Amino acid sequence: MLSNQEILSVLEMLQNENLDLRTITLGISLLDCASDDIRRFRGAVYDRITTTAENLVEICDRIGEKYGIPVVNKRISVSPMAVAGAPFAPDQLVSAASTLDMAAKSVGVDFIGGFSALVEKGLATGDRALIEAIPAALTETERVCASVNVASTRAGINMDAVLLMGRKIKEAAELTADKDGLACAKLCVFANIPQDVPFMAGAYLGIGEADAVINVGVSGPGVVKKAIDRALAADPQMNLRQLSDLIKRTAYKVTRVGELIGREVAKAMGIDFGVVDLSLAPTPNVGDSVGEIFQSLGLLSIGVPGTTVALAMLNDAVKKGGAFASSNVGGLSGAFIPVSEDLNISEAARAGHLSLEKLEAITSVCSVGLDMVAIPGDTSAETLAAIIADEMAIGVINKKTTATRIIPVPGKKAGDQAFFGGLLGQAYIVPVNNGKGDNRFIRRGGLIPSPIHSLTN
Amino acid sequence: MQKAIISVLGKDRPGIIAAVTKVLFEQDCNIENVSQTILQNEFSGIFIVSMPGNLAFDSMCAILEKGTAGFDLHFHIKPMESDERSGPAVETEPFVITTKGPDRKGLVAKITSVMARHGINVTNLQAVFKGGNDPGANIMIYEVDIPIHLDQASLRRELNETARDLNLDISIQHKDIFRAINRI
Repeated sequence: MLSNQEILSVLEMLQNENLDLRTITLGISLLDCASDDIRRFRGAVYDRITTTAENLVEICDRIGEKYGIPVVNKRISVSPMAVAGAPFAPDQLVSAASTLDMAAKSVGVDFIGGFSALVEKGLATGDRALIEAIPAALTETERVCASVNVASTRAGINMDAVLLMGRKIKEAAELTADKDGLACAKLCVFANIPQDVPFMAGAYLGIGEADAVINVGVSGPGVVKKAIDRALAADPQMNLRQLSDLIKRTAYKVTRVGELIGREVAKAMGIDFGVVDLSLAPTPNVGDSVGEIFQSLGLLSIGVPGTTVALAMLNDAVKKGGAFASSNVGGLSGAFIPVSEDLNISEAARAGHLSLEKLEAITSVCSVGLDMVAIPGDTSAETLAAIIADEMAIGVINKKTTATRIIPVPGKKAGDQAFFGGLLGQAYIVPVNNGKGDNRFIRRGGLIPSPIHSLTN
Repeated sequence: MQKAIISVLGKDRPGIIAAVTKVLFEQDCNIENVSQTILQNEFSGIFIVSMPGNLAFDSMCAILEKGTAGFDLHFHIKPMESDERSGPAVETEPFVITTKGPDRKGLVAKITSVMARHGINVTNLQAVFKGGNDPGANIMIYEVDIPIHLDQASLRRELNETARDLNLDISIQHKDIFRAINRI
């Protein structure tokens, strides 16, 4: 028999604290669709996706209703297109992106990820073609997301790829100048990309994965914030050890939701269950913000001194709770700090509490990186590449995933506002300090070797 | 031996269970199941016992009243015919139906009439009506068994409509979600 308190606390999380299942992402391998004929390849890809994902949305909705927990987004990730479509030229890959877009639309998912390449050690022909295709592909499609892994702790940092990505991001921004560079909001550059991320824009199905797999992303920054608020209202003297324990226990509860529903969806679809990714992923709604957690913990705003340590504590507590709650935790698992997708973080950027430099610093202790950061449109490709390279270095040296999703908003300058719409939100453009001038370092290219694994200090 | 079910009602105070079970022990009764609950200040208990075949139910009742004098308890006792449930067994799934909303007469009757019509069995009901319009002060929590082959869509539709007419927020959720979130 359940206690009333157990039942009422779950209802409270659902009704007032934005607890939901943020995404169920169906990974689909496209490797056996391989062909050197683009028409046959596109046909096979379309059939594969629409057949495998035919019932995804209906099943997610039905099981969500059974437990009273909405599955907000249903998504698809596919094998890296640079591998599946390796023989093709850039314009052919753009057409393959349209196929992904159409397939996504046909089965009713809002994003499809996997227009991706893994180039941390070198660029193969297919990788070059894919990266070449990214700006047009993201401009001409609505739901396709792209990611490029340019660095890893084992391989080092491919600086040729980093510079190339700097240029492609600029191109993508220019092509979607009328939408404030929207294409860049669907493009992530990674170090140490995990094979099983369910969250966009970085989701793709790794080469080491099965034919199809269900990965689940749970969120719940609102639940964590309210739990902190309630505990502090009851005992204002709570110390940080107690608070981190509280966050851990709350993360446990949130992850259990993903574990339960994810497994049932996988079973109903006859597909293996992959991982639960417990990430505090905000949306542009009040009460669904990671930034607000910092204020509940007692900081003036995210970005002020104390932010890095608070985020380190939050991220660690979230991981501990998540790891205990699920037998398969994976993906990114931690706290996201996407500037435009979080009203509170966006406001911190406007008010000047949060700078690009501080954002970079806190990515050394959180789960992703410079995420949905809008910068002035006149930032050069080289400066952009340099920002990316800095972020990659944090990931490579600290043996963790980092990424950038930066939007150089065409025609706009620091302090202006950029609008991306929907879940992608809106952001104040943050200045890039000391970004002018020649950057010969970045142009040198080559591979920065992988780091030594001893002498840690 | 014969099997009996004994219900006990009275104002709650320490010692009720001790007094009742002392009498049962003295009468050579064996307790098989007990459940007790306290609502506001009222004690209620149900005992399933096997008792000696020569003991009449009427006299057992009198013995209990006499043995627990001072507690002012009311007893009712009846024979248990068999362990079998009435009606054929139906495969079911456990759900929790929760409502919140302003207090008024007939809430339980209206909601349970929908359940009864669909053949849903209530296994546990907790309801608190403190009155007034604060939804948090007026809550019903039904733990129910819903037959597996029931048309859940029409059940949900009917429950939602009834709740809307009564100005209630209603949730219908499989019980596993509460277990998963709260229990290790």
